[in-house]
Order: sequence, then structure tokens, then C-alpha cells
Amino acid sequence: MPDLNEQQIRKLVEEAVNQLGSNASGTAVEQVVHEAVQRMQPGSVTPPPPVQAPGQNRIIVTAFGKNRTGILAGLTGVLAEANCDILDLSQKILQEFFTIMLLVDISSSSLSFDQVKEKVVQTGDTLGLKVIIQHEDIFNTMHRV
Amino acid sequence: MPIALEEILETIRMTEVEHFDIRTVTMGISLLDCRSDDFKRLKTNIYDKIMRTAAEHVAIAQQVESNYGISIANKRISVTPLAIAADGFYKEDFIELAQTMDRAADELGIDYLGGFSALVQKGFTRGDHSLIQAIPEALSITNHICSSVNVASTKAGINMDAVGMMGEAIKQTAEKTADRLAIGCAKLVVFANVPEDNPFIAGAFHGVSEPDVVINVGISGPGVILRAIKEAPDDLDFASLGERIRRMAFKITRAGEFIGKEVAAKQNVPYGIVDISLAPTPLPGDSVADILKAMGLEDVGATGTTAALALLNDSVKRGGLMASSHVGGMSGAFIPVSEDEGMIKAAQNGHISLEKLEAMTSVCSVGLDMVAVPGKTPASVLAGMIADECAIGMTNNKTTAVRVIPVPGKDVGDMVDYGGLLGAAPIMPVSQLNNSLFINRGGRLPAPTKGINN
Repeated sequence: MPDLNEQQIRKLVEEAVNQLGSNASGTAVEQVVHEAVQRMQPGSVTPPPPVQAPGQNRIIVTAFGKNRTGILAGLTGVLAEANCDILDLSQKILQEFFTIMLLVDISSSSLSFDQVKEKVVQTGDTLGLKVIIQHEDIFNTMHRV
Repeated sequence: MPIALEEILETIRMTEVEHFDIRTVTMGISLLDCRSDDFKRLKTNIYDKIMRTAAEHVAIAQQVESNYGISIANKRISVTPLAIAADGFYKEDFIELAQTMDRAADELGIDYLGGFSALVQKGFTRGDHSLIQAIPEALSITNHICSSVNVASTKAGINMDAVGMMGEAIKQTAEKTADRLAIGCAKLVVFANVPEDNPFIAGAFHGVSEPDVVINVGISGPGVILRAIKEAPDDLDFASLGERIRRMAFKITRAGEFIGKEVAAKQNVPYGIVDISLAPTPLPGDSVADILKAMGLEDVGATGTTAALALLNDSVKRGGLMASSHVGGMSGAFIPVSEDEGMIKAAQNGHISLEKLEAMTSVCSVGLDMVAVPGKTPASVLAGMIADECAIGMTNNKTTAVRVIPVPGKDVGDMVDYGGLLGAAPIMPVSQLNNSLFINRGGRLPAPTKGINN
């Protein structure tokens, strides 16, 4: 077994879960992982499955609301659960009012944009936050020439 | 350079507070390949082509809205002027085709379908005649169909026979939809120098030189411009005021073009143009009139209003042209009365008159738009309004238009409320002096020498 970095291990697990779904059993997972590892070996004839390049699917999460404990933990927790990579973070607290912006790479997540959006907005609701999620491209388009 | 928090908050303020949205993503569909000498086949071809081509238009536009957090208020379709696609058929056939297209729009979830149109600036084909005769009935029995007729151009002059016919058509449309405050007239517009790639209703149609299918986009952002003006100090000079407008127009045009390209790419159809007209809505703060007031006028209608509008229009164009390679459609500020909260108030207070609106149309798009006049107004007066606007458009080589609503049973002082984007309009006074001898002369008003520019 070659040395694998975290990103590769994550991909392996996701691939196994995607292929097997509810039929996952010990041997079945082993089989899928074995095949995937074979593909990663140098000189392997099977080309690796196309994956979205990191940075191609970046979203901006903006949340507003009254400041309270656990806001950052709640938002980052749900993003971590969904395997989303937080690249940048900035926040401002004006008196009681809390604004946070997260730049998040969702290309390594097994969830779609809509699913990530739904999860984060739901978490925001429980924390009393208004959450807006947009692809990063719209900001680059409007604010960069 | 990474995006700063302030830039993100500015974008969110635009969409959440200042009502910046994409007014429309309009799919233009050519009907030229639907033609047939068999009416049933023509009807089936048109229905099938619209259903097939726009099958995913609404769903994809909604997906793009969700991805980028910018609302697309309307999803629309424009088609080849029906007088061309269905030339050779009769009034009743055109009415039936309007119903067929209305059914398609309904099934697709489209807000409006434009293209019940004819281009008659130089004369009529049989199809043009039949379509114009069919307009009142077609608009009274459909919900989504919009009609436009081009009656003048700088090259061809003004077809005064068509002007007279359109005065009658507007009058009849008002009467046929009298039970709904003459709403049919809100879906009927008469043009001079009509653009063939306009995404906005009621004048949208798919020109004959356009590709088979195309996506055009129209933006709506008076609220954003208003903030830029309101934040300016009182002694800021005009060039600097213009620069503030340019910066905002740049940002909203970039967003509009980006959204249009996304919707086009996901449907695998070409992207056409962004129309940088500032389309107002009846929502508070989303008003072109308020922008003019914020420049330092007590109300629209004050002397200086036309100059203020000229500055606004030019600044929006400068910003928009920098932002996009393909600007088209009308691309100028809209001043519809019923769709603009500031205009409604100014009309109610008697500050703005039809005469002043007419003057303003010489420096902006589009013309006398969503203006309600007394129901007793005769067709010849309506035709006179059209002729005056056409003269401005023809002589100045620009688009002008008339969308006027003579509301049956209503008179000056009454209000009519259509709800939604169409808004509410006070009935405005219009000169009832007799002009029928002039209108009935007929023939073509010759093109100006300006049109001979080769």
C-alpha cells in the first residue's frame, strides 16, 4: 500500500461509499478500496477517474445575526461534516451584531452545492443567523476587472 | 486579490436591500423553420419548437439564481415576429396561434412570451394586416402573450396608416379587457426603430437576423444607482456624479452578463446581449424618478429633469459598455409611470405631465411607457401620441415607443392598480383636441435626411 495523503484517503472513502451505498460490507469496501489503490499505483494502466480540480468550486458563506456563543463553531462544524475546506474567514462584530464571511472550497465534498447550502442555512436558522451562500465567481465578476 | 468582506457585503446589500436583480433572462427562439402552408402543421411546429427549445429554461434559470444568490425576476421567451413566421394566414389563425403559444408558456412556467409582432415601418404584408387585426382579441384571451408593432424608422419614415391602425388596436384592446382595467394594453407596445434583440416586455421579439436560439438578459438596478447618488455630497459636480453612476452600472452589468452567460451555457445555446436599461419596479427605492430627485430636483417634472435624465442615461451606458462586450436591446433608462414608485407619486401630485414625459423620451429609452389616460380618449388621439413619439425616434435615430392604457370608465383623478411588476397608475390628462384630419391623411411620413447616411 503506497503512502496516501489526507485528500487521497478522503477520495477513496467517498468512492467506496458512492459505489456501495447501503450495500457496504467489510469485504465489499476492501474490494473497492483495493481497486482504487491499484489505479493510484505508478504505471497503472487505468486512468484515474476525473475529479474536479480544487479551487473550481468555491463558495462564499455570509452570515448575519445577533452575536452569541457557538456561531463560528456551528457554521464550521457543519462545513467540516460535509468535507468542505475553509480557505479564508473574516468576521466583524458591531455592538451586538455579528457578520461573518467564509470562503469555502466544496470540490472535495461528496455533497452538491444545493445540499451544502441547505445544511448550512439550516444550521444558521438554529443559531438565529441569516445565511447567504453564493458561488465565488459572482463576486470576482462584479468586483474584479 | 481575494474578495474583501466589504465587497461581499456591498453585493449582498445590492440584492437584499436595494432590489438589484436580473429583471429577465429571455430566450429568443426563431420560428422561421416552423413555417408551413398547412395551418395545423404550422401550429404544431411552433408549439413543439417552443416546448422543445425552452424545456429547461425556467429550471436552469432557477438553478443559476440559487448558485449566485441573485434573483431573476422573470423568465421569458421571445419568438420571430409572428407576422413573418405565419405570413399568409388570417386574423382568426393568428388568434389561434396566440392561444397555442400562451399554452406553451403556461406549461413551461414562462412569465411572458413576446413576438406577437409585426414590422410595418414601410408597409404591410397580408400577415402584418391579419396580425394587427388579431391583436385586441389575442391579448384579451391570453395571459402571457405580448405584442409589439414597429411603425417607423429613421430609414423608412413613419407609416401613418399603421399609426392610425395601432390607435384603433389600442382602443379595442382596452375595451376587450375593460373588466381587467384594460390590462391588454400593458402587453402592447408601438415602436419606432425597434431593436431586434430586446429582452424586455412588451417589446421583446426575436429578430430575423438572430441565431436559431439565443439568451438575452435585462438588468434592474435603480436602487443601487440611487444609493450611489444619495451618498454623494451636495456640492459634487456632474462629472463626479456621473462617475459614481458609472461604477455602479459597471458592477450590475457585469453581474447581468455573467448570469446570462451561465444560463446560456447550461442550456448549450449562444449568449446574445445584456440590455443595460435601468428597469425600475414599484418597490420603494427602486425608482428612476428617485434617482433624478436625489440629483437635486424637488420632484420629477421640475425644470432640469430632462438634463438629469440625460446624465443618468449616459453614465449608465459608459459603465455598461466597459463591463460588457455585447450590449444591446434598448439600453437606456426606462421611465414607465406605473412601474416606478417615484413616477406614480409625481403623476398623482400633478408634477409630471405627458408633455414633460414626451420631452424626457428624447434623451432615454423607451418612450411613453405604462401611461394610463382617460377611457374616453379617442383612437385618433392615441395615434397622435404614437406619431409624436415616432417623430422623436425617427428624427433622433433612436428607439422610442408608446405603451398607453386608455382605461374604460376611468378619468383624470382615478387610479388603476395592476399589481406585481406592472404597478399602479394614476390616470393622466392628455390633450383631447381633435387631430383626426391629420391622422387620417394616411400614407408615409417621409424619412428624414439623417436616414440617408451612406
